[in-house]
Order: sequence, then structure tokens, then C-alpha cells
Amino acid sequence: MAGRGRGRRPFGTDSSISRGEGLPPGLQQPTPVFPVMEQKPLPLAGGEEAEYLLALKQDFRGVMKNLPFFIKPAAAQRDVQRYSDKYHSSEQTNSLTDWNLDWRRFPRELQVHIRRRVREGLAFSTMDSSVPVQKKKKKKEEEEVLLKLETLEKKEEHEQSSEEEEGGVKKKPEEEEGAEAEEEYDEEELEEETDYIMSYFDNGEEFGGDSDDNMDEAIY
Amino acid sequence: MTAQEVRLCGLVLQEHFGEVVEKVGRNLLKSGTQNLRAIVHETGLSVDLVKKSLCVLMQHGACSFIQGRKGPGSPTEYKAHCDRMLRILRYPRYIYTAKTLYGDTGELIIEELLQRGHMTMSNTVKTVADRLTQSMDGDMDYGEVSTTFSKLVETHFLQRCPPAAGAGTTGSSQTANSTSAAPASSTAPTPESFPDCYRVPQVTLIGRSKRPLASEEGEDQRNAKKAKMDPETHGDEGIYWQVNFERFHQHFRDQTIISAVANKLDQTSSEIVRTMLRMSEVTTSSTAPCTKPLSANEIFRSLPATYNIPRHILDQYLTLLVDDPVDGVCGEGVRVIYLNQALANLARATLESIVQERFGSRSARIFRLLLRKRHLEQKQVEDFAMIPAKEAKDMLYTLLSQNLVQLQEIPKTPDFAPSRTFYLYTVNQLPTARLLLQNCYKTVANLMERRLFEAKESKRLLEKSQRIEAILASLQASGAEPEQLTEVEEMITAPEKQQLDSLRLHVNKLDSAENQVDETIFLLESYISSSTKPTS
Repeated sequence: MAGRGRGRRPFGTDSSISRGEGLPPGLQQPTPVFPVMEQKPLPLAGGEEAEYLLALKQDFRGVMKNLPFFIKPAAAQRDVQRYSDKYHSSEQTNSLTDWNLDWRRFPRELQVHIRRRVREGLAFSTMDSSVPVQKKKKKKEEEEVLLKLETLEKKEEHEQSSEEEEGGVKKKPEEEEGAEAEEEYDEEELEEETDYIMSYFDNGEEFGGDSDDNMDEAIY
Repeated sequence: MTAQEVRLCGLVLQEHFGEVVEKVGRNLLKSGTQNLRAIVHETGLSVDLVKKSLCVLMQHGACSFIQGRKGPGSPTEYKAHCDRMLRILRYPRYIYTAKTLYGDTGELIIEELLQRGHMTMSNTVKTVADRLTQSMDGDMDYGEVSTTFSKLVETHFLQRCPPAAGAGTTGSSQTANSTSAAPASSTAPTPESFPDCYRVPQVTLIGRSKRPLASEEGEDQRNAKKAKMDPETHGDEGIYWQVNFERFHQHFRDQTIISAVANKLDQTSSEIVRTMLRMSEVTTSSTAPCTKPLSANEIFRSLPATYNIPRHILDQYLTLLVDDPVDGVCGEGVRVIYLNQALANLARATLESIVQERFGSRSARIFRLLLRKRHLEQKQVEDFAMIPAKEAKDMLYTLLSQNLVQLQEIPKTPDFAPSRTFYLYTVNQLPTARLLLQNCYKTVANLMERRLFEAKESKRLLEKSQRIEAILASLQASGAEPEQLTEVEEMITAPEKQQLDSLRLHVNKLDSAENQVDETIFLLESYISSSTKPTS
């Protein structure tokens, strides 16, 4: 067609750009990251409402971090495998058990099956030692044990342990002892067959925060 | 789902639900509908974590599941909702509105429901009553909280969650008596398609929330009582409530229109508009283009008693509102507010002010000119705007390069020869609004990233100050002397204190800016959705 190819007219022949005036020179490098602004932006809207909204927003974020909906990723693998890793990893899975879902509204495939083998192992192993103990305090502790039973049963409903078939009839009396033993253990921050409280496994990386409490004692 | 929206959703999920949920959410947004195995494979997370994240997302309504889409044996598929995730930015505004309308009780109810996604009425009432008891001296009665809850439901701020579509059990809850949700349906039923949507259930919840007793005996007793109370049902098992965002949006839109009228005219006319809007609040759906027709008599009767406006002055005000094109009040005997037109006007004002703030008042003049006169040639622009030719040309080219102004070619000859073609500048309001909305999303995402960056930089300092605050609090609780307190306070050196203060200031500014940009987002989103919905 006319005007294409070799006979191409220069660009500035439309009426909006007058003749003889060139285009501005082309850019040779990317635009600066923080260009100078000719128009300064207006200040933010202040006032009581804006501050209240701000406070609400920050509070909401803070609360969400502590709800069971906040899922923390698995703790990062440190460079060397440490003995205390075995005991730290169980702390994280507890958060979601606080949240009682109504499974009628959610698809069944999303139910997480938590292995309860270790916990019941604990119950089995401590059964012998706690039987004589239980006989002494039987009357007082019966009520408490019944309560624990109810709450534990509720938890197990949701978690659908695969060991239910194995336990069968024996489960209830086993749970009683297990529940009682667990109660004692929970009070002292014990988990999974150790004899040490959990702060034993702190490896001193947070040192320096706790030493300010005891100002009176001499520090050698 | 544009790239900016996905990025913003990812940041919002990360802040509120953690990184795991963010990964899963982003994957769902980018890939559309997927089943569980595909998500696990693509994100590389463990199956348990993915399952938990999906539960969290569904609890908050950000994700929904469809079963058996391709036939009875096919796996469950999950779909994420981008707009629902972006609502999280607006949560503070919802809570504040509830506070202004229904007081502290209403505020706490909405806050609890937003934090938990959806809950039963009895749970909400109990939790809110406990929280109020903690902050008040006396005990909070459940009945009072229930009344506020019912009021919120009556004005449609809360609605029932639609029953789950085929969650694997038949006959899930009592509310599914109208339609049986067929498992193979492709469209999810909206909450409003169920007739029981706004019916408050009969809840037997009598009592007061007690302060927790400090003594051991009290605790044991309470534990025993609690275990017995938990299995009790309060008559509303399976009925879950969620916040009705559309109703809140309707409220915000009305507020904006009223304040626009108040700015342009005066307080009395804004009161008239407020009355008209309130009268058609619950009857018109949120997507209706105009309110229901109201006669002048009805308006007169419904005006609040404090405004003693004689009838003829009211008529004068109404004629004034009709003439004024801002809010689109129209009609002769019956008055109607054209909401779509009002939204369009508000959006146009927003666009104009954005151009003014970024490019200066003269560019804004050109922009407004083009909005009103539609198509103009270069020469005409210079003449109408009264700006010298060279500067006008520069400004037009700047606006053109930012895509705020478009060029329309009208050829005289079929070969589009430049010397024989008209080049007209024009502004299309809807595409420009969409463009600026994407800019807003990008802005909020940038603000959030900057805030996270600042917090990460000073992480060590923040942790130290948190530890010191904890120590101070425990010392004060155990009754320490002032010297001990000052010694602990001095552990933070002065330059560190300054750094902390400036960090706090920056973070607050960035947060505030996010809130403000969200207001613009709301306006532009309402305008776009109102003008693109199919007119029946």
C-alpha cells in the first residue's frame, strides 16, 4: 500500500506534532527506582476514627497469630541433628486439636489421622506403676478421671485413631490409668517418656534473657 | 485473578494464617479448581499440613469444595475465592461500623465472628459475654448479648451459613428443608437462597457469665460443671452464622452518598437522603440499581423528629436534589435514588482526584474536560483547557503513556494515512477505573511488604523490647520497688528507644495508609461491580 516499506514517511507527519520538531530523546536506561515526584502526596487522614481503625487492625493481627488457625511451618532443620529435636517436634501439633470442627460441613477426606500409638504406649508402660497409686486415691480421683474420660473421648472422636480396633473393650480401663498418668505428667511439662522437663532441652541459644530476674543473687 | 490480586491475597494470608496457608492459597488461586492430590504435589508440603490449611481456608469462607463434579466417583475439588480473601483488609472497618451502630457488644460479636469464620449463636454469645465480663466489673447477662445478636440478624448484618453441599452425610442440618442441595450442582447456592437465612433459632441460653474463681475448690467445681454443661446442646447445633459482607458494603455505600450530599449541599438535604436510603434498606437487594419509589408523603412521615421541616420546604429540597446531578434523585411525584448513577459519580470524582494528586491540577483539568466532552482533538483540548499548546501536549502525552487517556483514530481515507486521520483523545471511565483498581491492589501489597521488611530489620530489637516489657509486667505484678523497675527500663539504651519509636511510627503510618487505600478500593470495586452486572 502507499507509504509502506521504502516510501515510508517519517513519523511526525500527523497534525498533532508540528514539523521540524523532533521527538524527545529515547531512554537509555531503566527509570530510577525512586523518581523525584513533582507532586508531593497529601498527608494521611488522621483523627480519632483513623487511629481506632489502626488499633483494631493491629489487635486483630495479634489475635489471629494465637488462634489455632495460624499454622506454623515445621521448624527449620538446623545444621546438626540434635537430641532435643525429638522432644521439640511434638509441641507443634497440639494447636489444631483445640479447634473442634463440625465435620458435617467439611469433606471427609480432610480429616487428619493423628497417630496415638506413642501416647497409648505411655499408658501401657506406666500402667503397672500407677495401679497401686490409683488404689489409694481411688475415691477422690474417680470424679476427676470421669471428667478426663469425657474430654478425651471427645478428642478421640474427632481424631479417629486407627488403634481403636485394637483396643476394643480394654480401652476404657486403660484410658483411666492412662488419663491419670497423663494428668500427672502434663503438670510437669513432660512429654513422651523423658524424665526431664522441657526446659532441660533448651540449648542456651536464648541465654541472656532470663538472667535479669535474679538481681539479688551473686553471679559468678 | 490478576497477578496483583494474587500477590496481595498471598500477603494477607501470610499475615493472618501463616506461610503454610499462604502457599496453599496461592496455589489454588493460580491454578483454579484442584483436588487434594494435585495441591499436595504442586506445593510440596506434607499431606497433613495441606489438609489443615484447607480446613482453615474453608472455615473462613475463602475456599469452597465441590464433590463429584465429573461424576459420582471423582475426587473432591477445591476452589479459592480471591475477593473473599481481600475482604480481610476491610475487617477493621466492619468492626468499627458495628461499634457505631450497636455499641461494644455488637463490636465484639462481629469481631469474634470475623476471627473464627463462622460459629453457632450460643458459642458466640458465651465468648462475647466472657470477654465483656473480663473488661467490666459486673457480670454480663447472656440475654443482653443475645438481644444484640438478634438485632444484628434482623438488620441482615449477620446471616446463616448455607448448609454444606453434600459433605458426605445426607440430611446434614435442619436448615436444609427447602431445597436439597444436589451434589452434582455446579453453582454453589448463595446464603440468601435459603428462606431461613435470617431466622434466629430458639436458643436456650439462660444465665450469666461468671468471673473465673481464683481458689482451687472453685476451679474443681467449675471444671466439673463445665464438663457437664458441654454435652448440653443449646438448641442450635449445626446452625452457623457468618458476617454478611454485602450488607456492610451497602451501609458503607449509603454513608458515602450521604456525606457526598452533605458536602455538596447541606446537612438537611443529607438527612433527607439518609431517610430515603434507610427506608429502602432492607427491602432492596444490594445489587439493585435504584431504591424503591417513595412518595413525598412517606418521606415526610419518616423524617426524624428532630428535624422540623415544614412540608413545602421538604418539597423544595427534593426539587433541589433532583436538579443536582450528584446523587441522581429523580422523579416527579415519587422519588427514587439512582444508586448506580450515584456510584458512577463517586467513582468519577475519585478518578479525577487521583489524577490531580499525581499529575497536578492542570492535567486534572484536561482529564475532567475529556470526561465531560468525550472526544476532543489536540487543538480543541488546548483551547478548552486554556493551557499553552506545548504544555498541553506534554501533559496529554504523559497521561497517554500512563494509559489514563486513550487515542481514537478516525480515518478519512481507508489507508489510515496520518495526515488524513483525525486523532481524538478520550477517557473511558470503566476501563480507567479497573486500571486504577489494580494500581490500588499493587499499592496495598507494596505497603504490606514494606511493613514486613521494616519489622524484619528490627526483629532483634523488637524481641528485646518485648522481653523487657514482660519482665516489667511480672515485676509490677509481684510488687517490686521503683528502683528495680527503673533498672530494668534502663536496659534499653536511648538510641535503641529512638529506633523503636521511629519503627513504631513507620509501621503505624504504613498500616494507616493501607486502611485508607482500602476505602478507595471499596469505592472502585462497588462501581465496577454495579456497572458490569447484567441488567435484567
